[in-house]
Amino acid sequence: MSITTTEKPIRKLFEYPERLREAFIQTPGITFGNGDHVTASEIWDYMTLEAPVRFPHSFDTSNANQGRLSSDVEFFGGIKRTWFSISLKDRALRAHENGVPLVLTQGGQTMEPYYAAGGIPLRPGLVMQWARDMQEGLSLRESDARGVEILESGRNRVSIDACNQIAAHAAIDNGVVPISLVAPYLALRCSDMAYLTESHRNHKRKLPMHLVDFPIDQVGKPWAADLVATELRKLVVRISEFSGKNVTDDDLWQNIRYANTARGLAREIHYLVWNAPELPINSSDLGGIPHLANDFMGDPVATLQLLELIRDEVKERILRGVRGAGVHKDPKRLFICGSCVGPNQQNVERAGGYCAGRDDSWNLLTLEVEEKGDPYQALAKSILSYPYEQPTEKRAEWTIQAVRDSKAKGVIFMYQWGCNYQSGVSRMISDIVKEKTGLPATFIEVGELGRSEATEQSENRVEAFLEMI
Amino acid sequence: MQNPLDTLRKIRQAVENRPAELETLKAAGAKVVGWINYNVPEELILALDLIPVRLGRGGDDHLVEHGSRWISTKNCVYVREIVGLFAENEDPYVRAADLVAVDATCLQVFRTGEVIRHYFGKEVAILGVPRNFHTPEGAQYFRHELKHFAGKLEEFSGRKLTEEKLAASIALLRGIRSTLDEIYTWQAADNALITWEETLDVVQAGHFLDRTAYLELLHELVAELQEKQATDEIHDRFEEVRIFVSGSIIPPGDRKIIGILRSLGARIVGDDLWSGLAPQLNVDVKAPTVDAIADAYLARVPHGALPYLDLETDQRLANLKKLLHRFHAHAVVYHTLRYCDPYTFKGNETKQVLQAEGFPFLELHTEYAGSDYEAVRTRAEAFVELVRNRNLIEA
Repeated sequence: MSITTTEKPIRKLFEYPERLREAFIQTPGITFGNGDHVTASEIWDYMTLEAPVRFPHSFDTSNANQGRLSSDVEFFGGIKRTWFSISLKDRALRAHENGVPLVLTQGGQTMEPYYAAGGIPLRPGLVMQWARDMQEGLSLRESDARGVEILESGRNRVSIDACNQIAAHAAIDNGVVPISLVAPYLALRCSDMAYLTESHRNHKRKLPMHLVDFPIDQVGKPWAADLVATELRKLVVRISEFSGKNVTDDDLWQNIRYANTARGLAREIHYLVWNAPELPINSSDLGGIPHLANDFMGDPVATLQLLELIRDEVKERILRGVRGAGVHKDPKRLFICGSCVGPNQQNVERAGGYCAGRDDSWNLLTLEVEEKGDPYQALAKSILSYPYEQPTEKRAEWTIQAVRDSKAKGVIFMYQWGCNYQSGVSRMISDIVKEKTGLPATFIEVGELGRSEATEQSENRVEAFLEMI
Repeated sequence: MQNPLDTLRKIRQAVENRPAELETLKAAGAKVVGWINYNVPEELILALDLIPVRLGRGGDDHLVEHGSRWISTKNCVYVREIVGLFAENEDPYVRAADLVAVDATCLQVFRTGEVIRHYFGKEVAILGVPRNFHTPEGAQYFRHELKHFAGKLEEFSGRKLTEEKLAASIALLRGIRSTLDEIYTWQAADNALITWEETLDVVQAGHFLDRTAYLELLHELVAELQEKQATDEIHDRFEEVRIFVSGSIIPPGDRKIIGILRSLGARIVGDDLWSGLAPQLNVDVKAPTVDAIADAYLARVPHGALPYLDLETDQRLANLKKLLHRFHAHAVVYHTLRYCDPYTFKGNETKQVLQAEGFPFLELHTEYAGSDYEAVRTRAEAFVELVRNRNLIEA
C-alpha cells in the first residue's frame, strides 16, 4: 500500500528575486567535460522556472527541510552549485541512456577510478535523493513519504537494524533508479555497506557487484597499499566492462589531477572562510563544497569551474566585508563529527551558531595524491592516509587540529540510528576532543538520514548545546 | 538429572579452578593473551609459550548497560558486555590478560578493541582481516598481517617463533578441533549421553583451560562416550524435534535461547556458531609456518562479517547445509542479536535458502534483557509445535 499523500500543503516556495537576474546572467556559465555549455541565463531559468515546478520540495522554506536552499541569493556561486546538484538527476539519466555506467559507491571515498574508467560514481545519499526525485512535482511531505516508503521496503527485505542508507539499495533493487553496478570501497567509515551490498545477491534483480577492500589499522603497512592498489586496478577493469572504455594510466592520472585541484580549491575556500573577519558565506553554502570537490557530481571539468567561481566570489566578499546571509555576527562555530548526518544548518544559524566544518567531509579534502610513479599505488597510499579512517585515537588528534583550524567553540558528534561503526567511537572522540581542547563536546544519535521531517528532537538538542556554549 | 559422564564434571571442575591456576602461573612470570573475535590464531600464542584465553561473555544485562557508557547503544549486546567486563574489571580472565588481541573480522569487535585500549589502559594488538578474503590478494594481505601480528607477539613474549614450537602448537590445536568435532557427532547421536548444551559448555571450557590439559580431557570424554554410549550413529528420529542453531554468537553466559528451546522439549543437535562448532572445522594448516596458518584460517568456514557476493558458492551456507544433514536436523533456529549486522542482515536470505532445502526456519531477534523472554518463548513454542506436527506426518 502506498503511503504517499496526495494533498499538497499550501506553502510558499523559495524564490530567487528577479532583481538579481540581470547581474546573474552576466556571470560565466559552465562548460562540461563533453564540451556542452550551459549559460548563466539558462541556469537562472532552471532555478527560477523549471526546478521549482519539478522539485518543489527543494524549494520548501519550512524549518523542517533539512536540505533547504541557501538563503544567500546574492552568492551566485552557491546558486550555481545548487543548480549543479539538483540537475544531477537529468545528467545521470542522460549518461545512462548513453551507456555510461552509474555506480553506487560508499560515501567518503575517492572517486577518481570511477571517472577514469568511464563511469559516474554516486554515493548512497545522492541515490536516495535521486530515487525520490524520480517522481517529480512532490511537496516536501510527499517527497519524504516517498523516501520512507522506499526505505521501509529495504528494511523489510533485509533488516530492521539497517541504517537509512538501505534506502539507496532498495531504490536500486526496486528498479527506481538505473544503477549499473554496486562497487563501494569497504570498511571506510561504515560497516553496513558490506552487508547491504552482499544482500543484493539474493534479490530478484540480479545486480552486478564489486567490493573494493580497504584495510583497517593500516598505518605503516606497505602491504595494505599493495592490496588497495590491486583492488583499484580490478575496480577499473570491472567498470570498464560496462563503459567499454580502454582505460590507461593517463586516464587515471588525469582524474587524479582533477581531484587534487578540486580538493585544493575546496581547502582554500575553507581556510578563506574560517579566517575571514566576517564569515562570507553561510553554513549551507560552505557545507556543500566538500561533496562537490570530492564527488564531482558527475562531471569533474564542470566541478573545477564551479569551485574556481566560488573561490573567487568568496575572496571578493571577504574584500568587501560581506557576511553570508543568515549568519549572525560572531556566531558560535560548531564542528561536526561523524558520518552521513549533521544538524540542520539553517536552524543552527537561526539559533546563533554556524556549522564551520565536518570531519568526514573535511577529511576528504585533506587528501593529496602524489602525482608520480604508478597511479594506482599513489592513489592507494593516499587514501590509506585518510585521517578519518585512522585508528580512533589518532583520528581524534587530527579532529582536534581541524576544530582549532575552523575556530569552533563546540563539537557535536552525530551518528545515524543503526550505525554501529561510528557510534562505537562517538564517545571516545568526544571525550578526547573535550579533554585536549577544553571545548564542550557531545554526541547525538539521530534517525533522520535522508529524511526531511521529524527532525525536531535532534534540533532541540543542537539548540540546547548552542545555548550552553 | 545429573549427567553420568564423569569427564564433564572434571571439565567443570577444571574451569572452576582455572582462575586461581592462572594467578599462580602469572605470579611465576607467565603472560596471558586474551583474544576476541574469530581469526586470532592460537597456534602463534601457544608457540611463544604465552597463555591464550578467549575473552568475552554474554547474557548479563547489567554488564551490557555498563559497557554502553563507553561504546554505544547501537552496538550489539555482546560487544557492549565485553566492554562492560573491562569497565567492571572483575572477570578473572579480563584481569589476567596482559595483552588483548583483536582481529578485525567483525568490525564492531575491532571498535571494542579501540575502546578497551583507550578507556581501560589495556595493551591491544590488532590483526587486520581482508574483506575480500577469498581473493589471492586478500590472502597475500592476510599473510603479511599475520607476520606483522606474529612480530608483535614475539616482541611481547620476548621469544622467537620456531618451526618446532609451531609444529607442536599446530598439532595440539588440530587435535582439539578434531576431537571437538567428534564429540559433536556423539552429542547428536541416538540416545546420546551428552547434550548439545553440554557440548557447547565443553567447547567454551576450551576458551580458558590450559590447551594441553584440555585436549587430554577431551580424549578422556571421547573414551568415556565410547565406553558408555551405545552408538555414535545419528538418525532422523521423528519423535524428537531436532533443532539446529545458527546466527549470532552465543558466548559463555548466554543461554537465553538455548534455555527456551530446551524448556519446550526441543533437542538442539548442532550449530554453526562462531562460539561453537564453526571454528573447529576445516582448519588445515599444511606447514609449521605463519604463512600456512594464515592460509588455513582464511580457508575455513567464513565468518558472517566477511561479505561474499555469490550465493551459490558461499562456503558459510554450504557448511550450514552440510551440517544440517550431518546432524539430521529437522529445523533451524536462527538467533540474531540486535545490531549484529553480519548475521541479522542475512536472516531473510538464509531463511529462503534453507526453506528451499526443506528446512523450517525461525529467526529469533533478541538481546540479553529478559523483557522479551515471553515473546521469544511464544514464537519458539509455535515453531517447535509446527516442527513436531510436521514430524508426525513425516513419521
